[in-house]
Amino acid sequence: MKKNYECMGFNLKRSLFKLLIAMKFTLLLFLLTTAQVFGTAYSQSTRLSVNLQNASTVDIFETIEDQSEFKFLYNNDLLDNKTHHNVNFSEQTVEEILDVVLNETGNKYVVLENNLIVISPAEDANQQGTISGKVTDEDGEPLMGATVVIKGTTNGAVSGADGTYAIGNVPEGDVVLIVSFIGYMQQEITAVGGVADIVLKEDIVGLDEVVVVGYGSVKKSDLTGSVSQVKSEDLVAFPSLSVSEALQGRAAGVQVQANNGEPGSSMKVRIRGGTSINSSSDPLYVVDGFPGGVLPPPEDIESIEVLKDASATAIYGSRGANGVIMVTTKRGTTGKTKIELNASYSVQNEINRIDLLDKDQFTDYVTEVDPNILDGTLIGPGTDWQEEVFRTGGIQNYQLSFSGGTEDVKYYLSGIVYDQKGVIINSNYKRYSITSNIDLKASEKFNIGLNMFARRTIQDGVRTQEGSSGTTGSGIISAVTTGEPTLPVYDEDGNYAISWLGDPNDNPVAIANERANEQVQDRIQTNFFGEYAFIPELKLRVTLGANINNARTGNYVSTKLNAGKNVGGDGSVSGSKYTALINENYLTYAKDFGDHDLSVMGGYSYQSTRSESWSGRGQTFLTDAFLWWDLDGSSNWLSPASGLVETELASFYGRAIYKLFDRYLFTINARYDGSSRFAKNQKWAFFPSGAFAWNIADESFMDGLETLSQLKLRTSYGLTGNQAIGPYQSLAKFGTVHSIQNTAVVNAVRPTAVANDNLTWETTAQLDIGVDVGLFDQRIYLVADYYQQKTTDLLFSLPLPEYSGYSSMLKNIGSIENKGFEFTLSTVNLDGEFRWTSDLNFSTNKNKVLELPDGNDVFYGTYPGHMVGIQSTNVLREGQPVGAFYGYVYDGVYQEGETILEGNFDQFAGGEKYKDIDGIKDDNGDLTGQPDGKLSGDDRTIIGDPNPDFIWGFNNTFSYKGFDLNIFLIGSQGNDLYSYTLMELETLRGISNSTTEALNRWKPGNTDTDIPKASLDRGYHSSSRWVFDGSYLRIKNIALGYNLPTSAVSKIGLSNVRIYVSGQNLLTATKYRGYDPEVNYRSGGGASGNLNAGLDYGSYPNAKSYTMGLKITF
Amino acid sequence: MNKIKIFSILLIVLGTFACTDLTEEPVGVLAPEGFFKTPADVEAALFGAYGHMASERYWGRKFSLTLMLRSDMVDIGNRGTPSRRRHINDFQSDAFNGMTTAFWPNSYQNISAANAAIAGAESLENIDEETRNALIAEARFVRAFLYFNLVRLFGDIPYIGEAVTDPESLNSISKTPKAEVYTNIKDDLEFAKQHLPITQGSNARPKKASAYAMLADVHLTLEEWQNAYDNAKWVIQNAGASDIALEQDYQVLFDASKHDGQKEHLWVIDFMGQVNGGGGDGDDLLGPLTGVRGTDMQGWGVGVPSMAVYETWDDRDYRKSVAMLDEALKDGVMIPYTEFSNEKRPHIAKFTRFPGVADQNNRYTDHNYAIYRYADVLLMAAEAGNEVGVSMSELEGYVNQVRERARWTPDGPNDFPENVSGLSKDAFRDMVLEERRLELSFEAKRWWDISRRKLGNEVFKGPNSLEPHDNFNDNQYLLALPQDELDRNPNLLPQNPGYN
Repeated sequence: MKKNYECMGFNLKRSLFKLLIAMKFTLLLFLLTTAQVFGTAYSQSTRLSVNLQNASTVDIFETIEDQSEFKFLYNNDLLDNKTHHNVNFSEQTVEEILDVVLNETGNKYVVLENNLIVISPAEDANQQGTISGKVTDEDGEPLMGATVVIKGTTNGAVSGADGTYAIGNVPEGDVVLIVSFIGYMQQEITAVGGVADIVLKEDIVGLDEVVVVGYGSVKKSDLTGSVSQVKSEDLVAFPSLSVSEALQGRAAGVQVQANNGEPGSSMKVRIRGGTSINSSSDPLYVVDGFPGGVLPPPEDIESIEVLKDASATAIYGSRGANGVIMVTTKRGTTGKTKIELNASYSVQNEINRIDLLDKDQFTDYVTEVDPNILDGTLIGPGTDWQEEVFRTGGIQNYQLSFSGGTEDVKYYLSGIVYDQKGVIINSNYKRYSITSNIDLKASEKFNIGLNMFARRTIQDGVRTQEGSSGTTGSGIISAVTTGEPTLPVYDEDGNYAISWLGDPNDNPVAIANERANEQVQDRIQTNFFGEYAFIPELKLRVTLGANINNARTGNYVSTKLNAGKNVGGDGSVSGSKYTALINENYLTYAKDFGDHDLSVMGGYSYQSTRSESWSGRGQTFLTDAFLWWDLDGSSNWLSPASGLVETELASFYGRAIYKLFDRYLFTINARYDGSSRFAKNQKWAFFPSGAFAWNIADESFMDGLETLSQLKLRTSYGLTGNQAIGPYQSLAKFGTVHSIQNTAVVNAVRPTAVANDNLTWETTAQLDIGVDVGLFDQRIYLVADYYQQKTTDLLFSLPLPEYSGYSSMLKNIGSIENKGFEFTLSTVNLDGEFRWTSDLNFSTNKNKVLELPDGNDVFYGTYPGHMVGIQSTNVLREGQPVGAFYGYVYDGVYQEGETILEGNFDQFAGGEKYKDIDGIKDDNGDLTGQPDGKLSGDDRTIIGDPNPDFIWGFNNTFSYKGFDLNIFLIGSQGNDLYSYTLMELETLRGISNSTTEALNRWKPGNTDTDIPKASLDRGYHSSSRWVFDGSYLRIKNIALGYNLPTSAVSKIGLSNVRIYVSGQNLLTATKYRGYDPEVNYRSGGGASGNLNAGLDYGSYPNAKSYTMGLKITF
Repeated sequence: MNKIKIFSILLIVLGTFACTDLTEEPVGVLAPEGFFKTPADVEAALFGAYGHMASERYWGRKFSLTLMLRSDMVDIGNRGTPSRRRHINDFQSDAFNGMTTAFWPNSYQNISAANAAIAGAESLENIDEETRNALIAEARFVRAFLYFNLVRLFGDIPYIGEAVTDPESLNSISKTPKAEVYTNIKDDLEFAKQHLPITQGSNARPKKASAYAMLADVHLTLEEWQNAYDNAKWVIQNAGASDIALEQDYQVLFDASKHDGQKEHLWVIDFMGQVNGGGGDGDDLLGPLTGVRGTDMQGWGVGVPSMAVYETWDDRDYRKSVAMLDEALKDGVMIPYTEFSNEKRPHIAKFTRFPGVADQNNRYTDHNYAIYRYADVLLMAAEAGNEVGVSMSELEGYVNQVRERARWTPDGPNDFPENVSGLSKDAFRDMVLEERRLELSFEAKRWWDISRRKLGNEVFKGPNSLEPHDNFNDNQYLLALPQDELDRNPNLLPQNPGYN
């Protein structure tokens, strides 16, 4: 497919889109008004008029259906279509009409609560009559759509919305009913006396459960790829800001880490490791079929499928390499309106505090560095900065949802308010959202639907994790930890006191109060679809979607801070508008030919994005009061900026699934992606995958093994891509330069980038071998996978000779490998009244750089900018993992009289000692690993690896009667972390506060220590002294819930009431002395996500929470 | 419902969305092809070079600070400062030094902008030759300046004289010998001399006299005294026509609010207060680097002269009080340097006293940093003239103009420094170099004088050394070539002597 293929039709794109938006709103209104709530006494109150000549019974039923909410359920054989009636009813109830009509045919009827009218044959002598009853789940919730069949016959019924069913034509005597429902265990029950209420138990790992995959769904038993599923109840186990947060610890092979504990901040999600070095390794999110969609709150999500292997992800081609997270939102089901109210309130505190020196310990420490340092400074009562800045925060989370529908119209409507008060003063986050899903059956062959999601978020942020602070940009946490405990919050004049030791930094309270940072985002995501069945086996589905994000960020630095003081306040505001449009069209053909079962899907999609941005900034304001809302009132107008970036992606995709003898499963997926981001010679990319699975347990030779309910072998191989090349990266560019002539900024450019006409996607080849084992009717269910991924054509900024005037050029060079094991073990440990289930997931991933440009090491520094002089702290080296820490090997302190190595930074007793491990070069100038008797840059080596050996999550649920207890643990083992926080505090230069480790510093009377003497002459050096074991075990959630007895709640007109208390992050077992071992400095998604792993600096601490909640179903 | 209708609408939608060729048509991104259409476009590339020199990577910190620390006039104050700065100051730098590895690429990026401007000017159609040549002259002037700095610091270097579109074609070139680099520099400046205008609207753009001044400097460096003298002399003779004169008040030369249109400036690197661009452009850090730590100016005390610089400088010299400060405000109270919390020494005042619009620690200033000013030219003429035997009275006249201005103070003229007269040739040479050290103090000029006159062993060793460095040796006149460049292109080997 070359770029010049012809357009079909004319360009309607823009106007059509507007039309669609308009249509969508009209349709929504229409659907909302039609989907009424039904009354219970409907059949009594509804008056119908039926006037028909020569009509069949069915015609009469249809006329009634047209006029009312009634639905008829009958077996065609029961009705004699030759019987023709002449009827003339006026303003009569349905009963009155049916009594007359059915009397003629000899049939009986039952009007069920949901206005379903079941027609059954009249009794005859051999028949006992009907069996009726109600199907519910263990919580007493009615189950609609369960099949109840009399054993040994085909006679049966389907339960209605209130769970009731009725079967006619039942032979005499006790009969056995077989009751089945997807997601629940099949049951056999003996009906006595024509009544049988049935309670179905949820099937833990239902083989018939449907799993959502790209462009369709498959039965779990037919799955050939590696897919993890996370269900709604796990996602809402505790209040979570986002789905990604709720995913933590829930699925094997999925690593989720907080980027910063700040309310509203993002999470870092990695599926089977980072497949890239310089491009994003974030997974692709597909929300109800919308790739790149925004995630609704966890409460609105029905299930999440994590697609991991190439067989599952290759259908997303150039975006599949990092795994795909399929999100399915809740939809309405037929039945009366279900109203659900969820409310929870959490109290939060910072997860931990750092042991800092108090006023006296601090005074002792800094005067040791310089006896005169306190001269002329006033020492007040002292301040505990952690006490000043941390507060009790909280989360309020409320959801009200309505769902239900008829055969033809189904709806789900939900509104959620999430309001978080951060544990640091002045940090808050609010989220308001509405999710609305409508399904409409336009005709037997045509279904349409609309998913709509609207959300506003307001983040009132505080500065943490600063990249570079200097004296003007300190963040709160680093200011809290470094701040002198002798400093008051306010000086005698009532102004914020400024640090007098070292750099004159603002105090943390000032930073929290005087630096305003507010981000408001409005998201609207709509996805409209139509599905047309030409024949039952062949369906066309067309979707049109739009995702719009409008964001505004305002910043203001008041005149009470260093950064605002001399400039009279500094305000800026920036806005952006992002629009993504998508159109998907695909045909699905599925047919069972007996031993051969075939399903084929093929389609085309087009997606475009447009990002606009603009900003303005000003300084020197008459007042701080207007924040960023009066830039024109500033007297120093600064740097306006604006930009526009557009991308397009066009794709052809297809899949074939072939099942032979119900045991041998073959899947082939392929996608052919054309991306505007790719260079002009490489616009199109092909990503195929294939998979094979074998249901061994279904083989006849396994028949004897009754305990083995499932045994399936899976294997897959395929290619996926990462198109995370920034737009326009393949083009030659003149970059703009800030340039001055006299008092004016002038237009200026310089050559900044050369073209790479062959720049292309990164390709990941992945092999997966897996086995699914189920024992004792799936009471024990194990999924194990081994995978091996190799990513080639890595995007690398290849350094160019600098004398060329260019620094680098983006090229496809290098490769990286990820391989590992994943295990998910689900067990029902105890079944019965007291029930105990466990889910354990465990994953390993080994990440290794295989090839770098010219095989050269790539060194880089990740330290905060103001911690100058550290140089390289990390290295990319062939054979080593991405993100490896690099530096000297710390060897304690030099003692009095000990010979100090030449070149060692501290040339005094009590100084930091580093190991001489290398330095002698061979004839080629390469290092030999032989110590050379002096300390130099050659003695630096890899001192840590941020990648864990394994991560795990362990969820236990206990239930007894109405009570349930959930204990959820997560952990990470064997990962190192690099702490700039502790480096800044414990280098012991006497220019800031330190941790209590400083009490054990080397002193003439305290020499048996590995903490050096305090010294102003010491610089920051990258060494193993700052590398810590980041392993941890965390009690992520403990929750105790109680469902009030149905009998009690039904009296007050409710169907279910649940109350619960829970605690999150209550305990973290770790050796790390910082706030939290879950660290992620400068790692917030994007390209640097993998390079900057396991770093800690000035992070907003995660919170521990105590939650109370209530869920009421009306 | 009419299914056919709905279905056809869907099909049309499908068709229209399918209409794409995936070509990127960036808005807000400038493509080099076809960029140069008017002289203004060429100027944009020239301004690109200027703006990128007024950058943290070059004159805002890395390059200017390197030159200052290298000299005997500026020492490291805060020894806790990054080792790259200490190593430059202490003659311990190596091929990995973080100063070098920052300004080396920046220099070549600016050369690249100049080369692009030259190519652009040559490609313009419908333009008169005078305008074209003036643009080319300006670009060649900038290129000469950048290479002149590089060749003095590194010796033999890669010389790129053309706009580069395929950087990989340069992967294995060899260094250009120093002499050839100088020849190219002189060619550029000769061309610039000829085609630059006699005056310019902005001191940030060179005029004829700027090219003459730099050429004088090039010849001075090469000890081509006659040429040096001739070029400097041209500037003196054409000062009026070129709108050049000495500023009366020495302090005004370091008052950023009075820099624009300053007549003494022959060519400047121009910063503007509180505005800056990406990648360090427009970021001037000389203020905080030389400012006093722990005082209201919130300096970092990095570049602080040794006590000897202060003590050996005659207090009667007005220039001393302009150039240095021995007290500073702390919490609004003036305290003497003996009470400074960290570096208890007088500090440089030239960049912190009047920074114009600036950040509170004197960052992002309004300074125009003079690369050449008239006093410099007068002293170059005197020094070169002395070597070729120009009449002493003429040369004394040049020096005395500088000294006379130095005697001016806002409180009326001083009687110090006195006019010079009656010196021998050798004494005159020493006097001029000393005069340059003080007149041009802290202006990143001293290292060039030390290096071209090979004064290192004299000024860094012995009892009279202002800033003793016993480890100084002749290899230190050059810096090490950046190791990563040598790694990428081994044809650049050998490394400069003393750095292996």
